[in-house]
Amino acid sequence: MSRRQVFIECVAALLIMLFLYASLSKFLDFEVFKGEMNNQPFPNSWTPFLIWFIPLTEIAVALSLIFEPTRLAGFYASLALMSIFTVYSVFILLHFFRYVPCSCGGVIKHLTWNQHLVFNLFFVVLSVLGITLQRRKYFKSIFINKNKNSFV
Amino acid sequence: MNKIKWTFMALAIILSVGGAMATRPHHAKIDTLYFYNGTAYIPAGELGTDYICQSSANVCTYAFNGITYTPYMQGNYDNVQFQATKVKENKK
Repeated sequence: MSRRQVFIECVAALLIMLFLYASLSKFLDFEVFKGEMNNQPFPNSWTPFLIWFIPLTEIAVALSLIFEPTRLAGFYASLALMSIFTVYSVFILLHFFRYVPCSCGGVIKHLTWNQHLVFNLFFVVLSVLGITLQRRKYFKSIFINKNKNSFV
Repeated sequence: MNKIKWTFMALAIILSVGGAMATRPHHAKIDTLYFYNGTAYIPAGELGTDYICQSSANVCTYAFNGITYTPYMQGNYDNVQFQATKVKENKK
């Protein structure tokens, strides 16, 4: 296994850990999570949708990162999700909303919004790295297959 | 190659599931939470509907176990500003 492949596996494993941990801690304390979603500065009518959509999307992203054929899509989905969370953190820090809510999600809820932003940015960078390396690997394998076929 | 890959994946899954289980709060279902108004503990209502907890190092709500009030959620208890927000939302 090349060093690059080991690095891709590490990046995918870190993202899987993040998304699985975040979604499971929401499901394990579902009532509190529901309250925390109501506590966020958007209309409460969004809560019934968001309390299912967010953790289920996180599980779907984690699963897609496990398997090779869906990994590139998983990295893109992870980048999209982490970018949304990062933009939300920036809006909170810029006092875009009328109040600053408490953050939520397992141990992560103990982070301040500034720490949250740095944490999110780290995983955005990891997702970009994952996409870059996985795309290179993907195109390399296509190129090798084409060359093999042309020799036959 | 596959062995190393699946070792990484298995480790990631075990650590995240184990971590989520280990850090889950062990409190029983709490029906009523209270806020402290400076003199007494008052039932707070429903989070996000009757009040909000704004980001702060203070204690927002307390749980009562029959003897003592213990901190439950971190933040600043607020219902005044929240009601103003809701009024604005309803006008829209």
